[in-house]
Amino acid sequence: MKRLGPIIALAVIGLLIFVLFKAFGTDPHEVPFLLNGKAAPNFKIKRLDNDQEVTLDQFKGRPIVLNFWATWCGPCKAEHPVLEYAWKKYEKDAVFLGIVFEDNEQNTKRFLAENGWTFPQLFDPKSTVAVDYGVSGVPETYFITREGIIQGKVAAPFSHPMQIDARMKGILQ
Amino acid sequence: MTFALLVSLLLGQGYAPQRQGLDPLEAEKEARVMRLGKQLRCAVCQGVSIADSPASMARAQLDKVRELVAENKSDEEIYAYFIERYGEWVLLQPTTGGLNSVLWLGPVALLGVGLIIIVMQSKRRAAASAAAGAPATTPAGPAPTSDDALLAQVRADLEQ
Repeated sequence: MKRLGPIIALAVIGLLIFVLFKAFGTDPHEVPFLLNGKAAPNFKIKRLDNDQEVTLDQFKGRPIVLNFWATWCGPCKAEHPVLEYAWKKYEKDAVFLGIVFEDNEQNTKRFLAENGWTFPQLFDPKSTVAVDYGVSGVPETYFITREGIIQGKVAAPFSHPMQIDARMKGILQ
Repeated sequence: MTFALLVSLLLGQGYAPQRQGLDPLEAEKEARVMRLGKQLRCAVCQGVSIADSPASMARAQLDKVRELVAENKSDEEIYAYFIERYGEWVLLQPTTGGLNSVLWLGPVALLGVGLIIIVMQSKRRAAASAAAGAPATTPAGPAPTSDDALLAQVRADLEQ
């Protein structure tokens, strides 16, 4: 018993330290994202500028950047210059697509006409694409490899070009 | 950026238009949709189910449940769809399998360990008592100790 006591005490303390370490290492408000490394769900939604149907599959073989946003979202507008910078820098190597969700078409079209956006903007009227991608806020940007595999998402607005450059390296390989 | 909506509202930058959900299914299937929806956590809320949340995004998630129910998917398949995206976080009642079993069985295991310690301690005391030449269990009064032997010796010396 004299030998067993310290062993049990150490085991309990070790377990507590492990639980505390795991808990302190994570943000309790962060919504988990498990689609990392999995095939990006296909979709079929229309472009806002010409009403043409667009599918993800039609871009297979090219890296894709998917940006989910809405016109009422201030941080989405704030990150717009960074996305524009990235599109200009990488447009020959990657496809950039904006997906507007939780918004209405009229609002969005007016917003785009007033502000002018360069890369294609698609409209997700019932947020079905957002649900399929496990979106948990706005804006969110997904990086998809040329094989169609999701290589992470950024669930926050980009504030500096370097942030997006680092992500682009991953999908351009 | 779950708080983007709140920030946008505070800064007067606009609002998220509320969208109608899909039409309800027939009564029996709709009851199943709501039962499943009560078990699934809304991705943009704080601990609210998609069936109870007024958020438009929660309605979109509930529509997905509706769509899967209409396709005659099983409960497990519907949960799996959401778990594949958000992990078990999305379940308002965690499963009892895998690592979660440690949480469920932990208190019972601790109770068991406590009982074992009590039993072992009792046996140890009994063994110590037996070694001191006294019965393992005494119906009344504490077990004699070496102090009692010393007192007996002192009394014997005083009587001489």
